[in-house]
Amino acid sequence: MTQSRKRVLFIAKRLLQAVPVIFGIVVVNFLLLQLMEGDAVDVLAGEAASATPEYMAQLREKFGLDRPFHVQLWAYVSNVIVLDLGYSFRYDMPVVDLIMTRFWPTMLLMTTTLFIAITVGIILGLLAATGLNRWRDTIISVLALVSYATPLFWVGLMLVLLFSVRLGWLPTSGMETIAAFYEGWDRVLDIARHMVMPVTALSLFYMAAFTRLMRASMLEQSNMDYVTTARAKGLTERRIAWVHVLRNALLPVLTMGGVQVANLLGGSVIIESVFGWPGMGLLAFEALFARDLNLLLGIFLFAAILVLATNLIIDILYTFLDPRIELS
Amino acid sequence: MKPLNILYEARSLAGAAVIACMPIAAVAQQSGGTLVMTVVPEPPSLASYNSTSQPIGQVATKVYDGLLSYDSETMAQPALAESWEVSEDGKSITFNLRQGVTWHDGEPFTSADVQFTFMEVLKKFHPRGVNNFRELLAVDTPDEHTAIFRLTGPAPYILRILSSYESPIVPKHAFGEQDVREYDKANMPIGTGPFKFVEWQRGQYMRFDRNEDYWKDGLPYLDRILARFIPDPGTRTAAMETGEVHLTAYSHIPTEDLGFLAEQDHLEVTQDGYEMMPGVTFLIFDTTEPPFDDVRVRQAVSYAIDRQFITDAVWNGYGKPATGPMDSKMIWYSDDVRDYTVADRLDIANQLLDEAGYPRDESGIRFEITHDVQPYGEVWQRFGEVVVQQLADVGIDVTIRYEDTPTWLNRVFTDYDFAMTSTGYFNFSDPVIGVHRGYHSNQIQQGTVFVNASRWSSPETDQIMNEAAVEIDFDRRMGLYAELQRLVVDAAPHVFVQEPAQISVYNSKVNGLLESPFGSFWGMDTVWIEQ
Repeated sequence: MTQSRKRVLFIAKRLLQAVPVIFGIVVVNFLLLQLMEGDAVDVLAGEAASATPEYMAQLREKFGLDRPFHVQLWAYVSNVIVLDLGYSFRYDMPVVDLIMTRFWPTMLLMTTTLFIAITVGIILGLLAATGLNRWRDTIISVLALVSYATPLFWVGLMLVLLFSVRLGWLPTSGMETIAAFYEGWDRVLDIARHMVMPVTALSLFYMAAFTRLMRASMLEQSNMDYVTTARAKGLTERRIAWVHVLRNALLPVLTMGGVQVANLLGGSVIIESVFGWPGMGLLAFEALFARDLNLLLGIFLFAAILVLATNLIIDILYTFLDPRIELS
Repeated sequence: MKPLNILYEARSLAGAAVIACMPIAAVAQQSGGTLVMTVVPEPPSLASYNSTSQPIGQVATKVYDGLLSYDSETMAQPALAESWEVSEDGKSITFNLRQGVTWHDGEPFTSADVQFTFMEVLKKFHPRGVNNFRELLAVDTPDEHTAIFRLTGPAPYILRILSSYESPIVPKHAFGEQDVREYDKANMPIGTGPFKFVEWQRGQYMRFDRNEDYWKDGLPYLDRILARFIPDPGTRTAAMETGEVHLTAYSHIPTEDLGFLAEQDHLEVTQDGYEMMPGVTFLIFDTTEPPFDDVRVRQAVSYAIDRQFITDAVWNGYGKPATGPMDSKMIWYSDDVRDYTVADRLDIANQLLDEAGYPRDESGIRFEITHDVQPYGEVWQRFGEVVVQQLADVGIDVTIRYEDTPTWLNRVFTDYDFAMTSTGYFNFSDPVIGVHRGYHSNQIQQGTVFVNASRWSSPETDQIMNEAAVEIDFDRRMGLYAELQRLVVDAAPHVFVQEPAQISVYNSKVNGLLESPFGSFWGMDTVWIEQ
């Protein structure tokens, strides 16, 4: 069987396996969310600071919250099977539409962050490993430790304080300058300016993890037999590190990249709140406090699919990095 | 016709039409510019006709008008109604509607819209409207520019609840035959107000542009209003500092940030402009179970709380100590009530607790309770901590419990699973709407939020509220409410702690914000920005 045919079969198999996993996630999420006290109607009435019993009963009936639990679960699951994620209680619009408007800002934030965090993390890890126990290694290791240990929201607020309030270089929040109505490249530039701080805050945190991992991985590989062989062949240390060790050391970093996608979604909740970034993390945060169950379940489902998809992509990437790995 | 209610009726008749068209006599108003305000949290919809949610009120009032508006002294002023007249028996109110007003889609505004709004929308679907307009039997429309409210009996409070926030007038033609709750233009509202709805970018902002055909000539001054949703309080403060945002109303800037914001040249911090949004912060007892079923214990706690300290230390000096269930900004406020702030208040508290049969044990503790703090942010946690200290002085051991909002709402108003909790109620524009709900026996409604959760009531106070609701003689109504306040403060189902300040932070370039008594819940047609 050729490698590419194997790949197609592998993908098909994984997609098939994903179906029961996603089904399980939907049901477990639904059960977990039932454990929360209070419902969307309490919150809507709470915000209004007053309400009549008639009004609250009306809303519960409209949302279907007056039905028994198993009926609600059945209705939800059978809707998801036909790809209908239902209506958001709070925003009174289809969950899919709501998520789609918020999906791209989050993707923009996440892919940029992942790209920067992985690239810079790999480079820093490499620099630290090749300069083991010298000043370069010490500085990078300390920096990584500090940026990993600092809370995300604090970094975000400090960036705002420095670059927006003190220096006035960057806007405090949002995704674009809303009263300006930029078009074309001006708009791209404007969005990029708004991205600088949230991406920096998020990248600092995740970059630290990649740096540490890359450093450790490089050190582990450099004790392998093939390195000794390369050295015996008379290759320069630089060539050994950059060509032979690097490629092998990247594998665990890649695995970590896949795992971090799920974490990054969590981190984006904080960063999107601090910077008012109109993404899915912020939406999930609001949906939780509004007890908007349909919306929350929809976001969880999207997140689950995203994580499954990323892991599939990473498994395939492995085979390119290390041809010895076979897909089965 | 006799003047019915001196304070809020007198100016309404003869002077109405004149005041309506009178421009504000300042010199330097400038047209143009964009006002950027924050709204927190993002509104769930723009349907202010079936939701009283505060974020909705702050945006929908730019689009919808009311029959009346209210000046900074809370006096009724003409809006879509040019003048109005209450019949001698109080059972009908005739509104003469403004002519030549058009909806944002160009259709004319008529009495049919008024009839539809009150009978088909507000009375049926507005969360407060169901109560507000219980007495409203019908709206007659003898011609296109006259609407007559027919009431079952006198309902003096109705003229207080006709603002664009409380009772927005909606277009009958746009609703057509649709179910009001499923109205397809709910989030693309068509109103008669000073600004037209343009767009809503979810998670970011709403945009409203100047209504060129607004019925007030030359208004609004602003070209555009942008309502931004910035969830993080620290970021809101920063956005005010950098000038990206011009206005943050409703205390959405943390009180601890107000001090240094007030020192900045380009920013103003004020408690003014909320005359029609009065309220009282209080502790609620579960009066059905020990220890708080005993009035002496409730009074003891009330004596033990140091209100001035709480205002100074918890709310950084904003707001002022409360004396009873009404904010002193209310016309009906009375301070002729039991004074819980007397010099020997701690001695009285200790004595009351002894009498009630709760002596101190060897470690000085009389009993233990849990205080469910309203989960509305850090300031409430600080309030909870101060209450712990102050009640420890009289031997009550308090534990704080802080949950998330839906859990807390459910615990207090549905499960009644609490001993003491802290919250506050808006009094709104009339006691019938904002005060009765905390004390009347018919407001003990399990599962409904912000009503009588203490479950205290008395036949005497019920009777007073029933009478006051339909009393059209102003002085007699004042008397009834003074008596109500005296009785409620004595019975102490709540410990009245503070009249909360609503605080606006705004850029000094912005003028005219304080002309309305509604904070930012109004059309802002007379607001202008120095260019």
